Amino acid sequence: MALLEVKNIQKAFGENGVLKGIDLTVEKGDVVSVLGPSGSGKTTLLRCINFLEKADGGSLSFEGKEYDLSRITKAEIADIRKKTGFVFQNYNLFANKTVLGNVTLGLTSARKVAKAEAESKAKEVLAKVGMAEFADYYPSQLSGGQQQRVAIARALATDPSILYFDEPTSALDPQLTAEVLEVMRELAREGMTMIVVTHEISFAKEVSTHVMFMADGNVVEEGTALEFFENPRMDRTREFLRLTSN
Amino acid sequence: MFDQKTLELLVSSFPKILEYGLKVTLPLAAIAFMLSTVIAVLVAMVQYANTPVLRQICRVYIWIIRGTPLLVQLMVAFYGLPLLGIRANPFVMAVVVFSINEGAYSAETMRAAMEAVPAGQLEAGYCVGMNYMQIMWHIILPQAFRTAFPSLFNALISMVKDTSLASSITVVEMFTRTKQIAGQSYNYLPLYIEVALVYLIFCTVLTFIQKKGEKILGSYGVRK
Ligand SMILES: Nc1ncnc2c1ncn2[C@@H]1O[C@H](COP(=O)(O)OP(=O)(O)OP(=O)(O)O)[C@@H](O)[C@H]1O
Ligand SMILES: [Mg+2]
Repeated sequence: MALLEVKNIQKAFGENGVLKGIDLTVEKGDVVSVLGPSGSGKTTLLRCINFLEKADGGSLSFEGKEYDLSRITKAEIADIRKKTGFVFQNYNLFANKTVLGNVTLGLTSARKVAKAEAESKAKEVLAKVGMAEFADYYPSQLSGGQQQRVAIARALATDPSILYFDEPTSALDPQLTAEVLEVMRELAREGMTMIVVTHEISFAKEVSTHVMFMADGNVVEEGTALEFFENPRMDRTREFLRLTSN
Repeated sequence: MFDQKTLELLVSSFPKILEYGLKVTLPLAAIAFMLSTVIAVLVAMVQYANTPVLRQICRVYIWIIRGTPLLVQLMVAFYGLPLLGIRANPFVMAVVVFSINEGAYSAETMRAAMEAVPAGQLEAGYCVGMNYMQIMWHIILPQAFRTAFPSLFNALISMVKDTSLASSITVVEMFTRTKQIAGQSYNYLPLYIEVALVYLIFCTVLTFIQKKGEKILGSYGVRK
């Protein structure tokens, strides 16, 4: 049984159809890269799957439970979100909290975990992203790459079944990009299930098990990473790979 | 003007004026300010969340309060509430009117400060599993308070001075007390200058506290 299965998800902003019936299946341990030109609906897809945006239609099954996206309740959304993590393009760290506070808040406030327990968990995930020494810093005192690594730690702290990344490195210069990608590579090695929207083709090639290529709100092509990069079937995919690989 | 007799009057009346400042004026301002802040936060939250109906009610409240003079509001409460069968002593009535009045202004300050917190932090809060109220409490309101603090404190300082209007509804506060003393001695100007100085002292101390408070609140690691 798939960990996450999205069927026929649809979303329009006014007249502008952004997701035109997309299917997506993610098994435990998969790393799915979502590629596609700007405006193709990648961010909207992730946001709809985590309910930051309300989908117009479609269904989602998560850990064996099936939900109708147009009718899902607040309580169901809250349940699903407790088991997922989201990493934003521009980090969105809580500006009034230290690094430690950012990472513990999901545990202490949303899950009523005791402070000491939350802090030891936070230190563990901060160590994993190489940010343990920065526990007392505020976000404004960190570089973009450091902030993004803290954001990843924050998402990891609650032991999610799946992590969503929306272009986690596109606001970073190459050197900072490398340090964030290294953390993600490590997560992939450990078997973390992830959906990664990215423009980093070489990273997608190296790390993903599956690739989905979107354009204009549709899936153009999808498959295992090997198939996708070595043997793309569609002209549009080949064109995209040609343009982005140099 | 400042002859021996006047000096003696100023010296002997100083503790009396100060007493009413400490006993009536400051408590009136302090209590009303605290209540107004509670009102402001609630009204700002309703507007921030865009709650239907409640939001309209809040807009009407702000519209009426900001569109009418405080003095008139005091009078309407003073003569109107008894007609509705509500009997309250003038001090309590003044507290209520000042709170409701300042609440409308501070609500706008708070709303702007809440809206200044990047929406991404709200979304990030949802994504780590927090609910709306938890996000308000831990993320949005603390940052909004930090932003609004100077304006809110300015409102407090204004309120200390505006409490003199409470004399119009028979509250014996620092200014009324001064008027009484002046009336007994027929020596108005020196006493009004004296009470002005006491207001000045109060406001100077508050401004000092404001500066200290801003330092203590800090700005989350941003050096200014
Ligand atoms: N809140 C919104 N209101 C209206 N239109 C929106 C909104 N969010 C996205 N869109 C539109 O939806 C389309 C898809 O946007 P989306 O951000 O999902 O694309 P994307 O694939 O993530 O692009 P990029 O690679 O540039 O991040 C765009 O045409 C965009 O203008
Ligand atoms: Mg995007």
